[in-house]
Amino acid sequence: MPTPPHAISRLADRLPPWAAGLSGGCILIIVAGLIAAPIALTGGTRASSAMQLWLFAATHEILYQPMVDEWNADAEARGALPIEMSMLGLAPLQRRVMSGFYGGLPTADLVEIERTMAGQVFSGPVEAVGLVDLTDRMRDAGMFDKFPETSLSPWTSRGRVFGIPHDVHPLLLGVRADLVEGAGISLDNIETWDDFARTLAPMMRDDNNDGDPDRYLLGFWPTQTEKVEILLLQGGTGLFDENGALTLVSEANARVLATMVSWCVGPNRIAADVKDFEASGNKLKTDGFALAFFMPDWMCNVWKNELPHMAGTLEIMPLPAFEPGGRRVSVWGGTMLGIPKTSQNIDAAWDAAQHLYFDSEFARELYRAGDIITPINTYWADPVFDEPDDYFRGQAKGRLYIEHIPGIPARNASPYNQTAVFRVADAAMALIDYANDNALYTPAELEAEAMNQLQAAERAILRVMNRNAFAQAEPAEADTAESGTRGGGQ
Amino acid sequence: MTTPTARARERRAAWILLTPFLLTTAVFVAYPLYRSITLALSQTYGVGAETFVGTLNFRSALTDPVFWIAIRNTAVFTLGSLLVQLPIALGLAMLLNRPGLRARAFYRLIIFMPQLVGLVFAAIIGSVFFAKQTGIINQILNATIGLSLDFAWLEQHIPATLILIALWLYVGFNMIYFLAALQAVDRSLVEAALVDGAGPVARFINVIVPAIRPVLTFVVLLSFIGSMQLFELPYILLNNGPGPQNGGLTIVMYLYQQGFETGNLGMASAVGWMLGIALMGAAAIQIHLARREARDQ
Repeated sequence: MPTPPHAISRLADRLPPWAAGLSGGCILIIVAGLIAAPIALTGGTRASSAMQLWLFAATHEILYQPMVDEWNADAEARGALPIEMSMLGLAPLQRRVMSGFYGGLPTADLVEIERTMAGQVFSGPVEAVGLVDLTDRMRDAGMFDKFPETSLSPWTSRGRVFGIPHDVHPLLLGVRADLVEGAGISLDNIETWDDFARTLAPMMRDDNNDGDPDRYLLGFWPTQTEKVEILLLQGGTGLFDENGALTLVSEANARVLATMVSWCVGPNRIAADVKDFEASGNKLKTDGFALAFFMPDWMCNVWKNELPHMAGTLEIMPLPAFEPGGRRVSVWGGTMLGIPKTSQNIDAAWDAAQHLYFDSEFARELYRAGDIITPINTYWADPVFDEPDDYFRGQAKGRLYIEHIPGIPARNASPYNQTAVFRVADAAMALIDYANDNALYTPAELEAEAMNQLQAAERAILRVMNRNAFAQAEPAEADTAESGTRGGGQ
Repeated sequence: MTTPTARARERRAAWILLTPFLLTTAVFVAYPLYRSITLALSQTYGVGAETFVGTLNFRSALTDPVFWIAIRNTAVFTLGSLLVQLPIALGLAMLLNRPGLRARAFYRLIIFMPQLVGLVFAAIIGSVFFAKQTGIINQILNATIGLSLDFAWLEQHIPATLILIALWLYVGFNMIYFLAALQAVDRSLVEAALVDGAGPVARFINVIVPAIRPVLTFVVLLSFIGSMQLFELPYILLNNGPGPQNGGLTIVMYLYQQGFETGNLGMASAVGWMLGIALMGAAAIQIHLARREARDQ
């Protein structure tokens, strides 16, 4: 029985003399290459049979599933494309999205962007941002009145909005009410951070007499960089203004920096490094190593999932202010839904995005299953936010969070936000070294050096900002004089 | 005798056979090399936005204090590797090379074993072991010498922590090279030195070291290049970043930050070229030393 390879050999015999030296296998490889190359080169233009939605959080996938099922059930009848979700995780999603944006390659039709990614997304010329500019669509749909401005600002660059906000993320304080009540202490009269330290001071203990307290009042350390930003936003002037200019060097920021460092040093130290999302941190939380924790709405759900045995121990209270009458709320985290420019279904993706984010039942479920307050203000009156939460000792914490939304500080999008966060956290660590070296522990003693550290941080950030040739060629629409001196317009 | 036609056919066949190699080299080596040079002289934001900036990226890196922090950290780690890790590896190899040692293979396996877990896993283990309060290192040191549980290995002692983890990970790897070299040393030379009255130090300096010098040079170069390319260990150990005050920032991590965190591919290319030139310099020194070695012999 003849063997098939002879066919290739016969083919080789028919080739021109210059190719006669090639073996059958070699010819096969060349033919395969010739067939594969055009397919590979035209692969990017394939028509998709479903809209791709890329997510980074498993909880979001669970929350969206009923909405997606509802959409897909009659998609064919409506002539719409079904939605297909893919949960990638934060880092892979960031890499794939940015690779797609840089390379002009297809990614998804809808993609969720986390706030820490925003800087990278917005770092180029505004017309080269890989997301569809949604400003006009959102204005036409009357969305700007439905969202608090602070939930839009992280997704706004050079006056253009590139995403629908998923959340608003007010941040309050979670306190181990079980331990505090057990010690006969009331939280009612705490208004400022000074009140907080003074009222709860009796809770600091050194049971084993090793010189180190066995319990601290606050889970905070400047290496947790996002918490440094949280406090600067709460009591200071934040990092950037709406034009992208640095607002780092200010007396208010210096005061906040000095205060947060005073919590970490000296005989009156009240803060300890209790990490979130880590087993070591969860053990310290369980052991009662710290009494209070920064709690954005989404963190309530993290506690429920990672520390279910801590049910009935925490209560949410407003953040203590840096001064009497000061701000009692801050903000941490954020997600938006955007449409990549390479999507072949931009209008359909816009419809799907509205279906996902604007449903009242979704807003309720976002809170019930994810503890996240919807950014859509027309839903805030929903009774779901008044329901008692057993994990938080029967507190109607949803209403408490909503009451504080108007006080949330604005976070302005900047490609350099992460750079600034890291540099200011470094400034805090340098201030800790300074405090320990010079035995200076009070905010008043540290304020002057805090200002020096902020100035050094600003110089470092400006060095990075001034490298951006695109931003230098593209000044901000407003306040360009200020931008020129402080690195604005980026 | 070959006719001109046959020679032409041979030449054509040679080109045909070379074509796949030349094509892949052009696509995967020559073009990326050319593109990385043009990138190093540009700023980009995706395929649609590129602007020529001349030597700005090189100047920006060289005038950036953070770049010099990365250089300093990398140099400290490299010196730690060379001055701590290699002598310990050589010492262990000499211990294992002692005649009459029982269970030599077992000790060799135990010392080499950390190498099997790999950098990423070692970094994850390190982040747990060296944590404040709950880390086993602080727990042990607290119980034995009274060190504070708050001792911040991963904040204020990052270079030392990196060197310790790398020591645990690589000492066995380098020891294997040294052990192989020691086992190849001519015993008669050692015995002759012994007869001449040479002590252990004199025997080590005048007999052992010259005999293992080629392997020593190779291991030093390997450690140098590996240290210059350090990235995964500090990146994962310090929770996907350079650590407080850039204490764990290395040259490659600086390159990664520029290219993949801030999206400045031009600056990343410029740093890549500077790193590449430094490594080529190191390789040139190694070639020079190897040639001198061959000349001396």
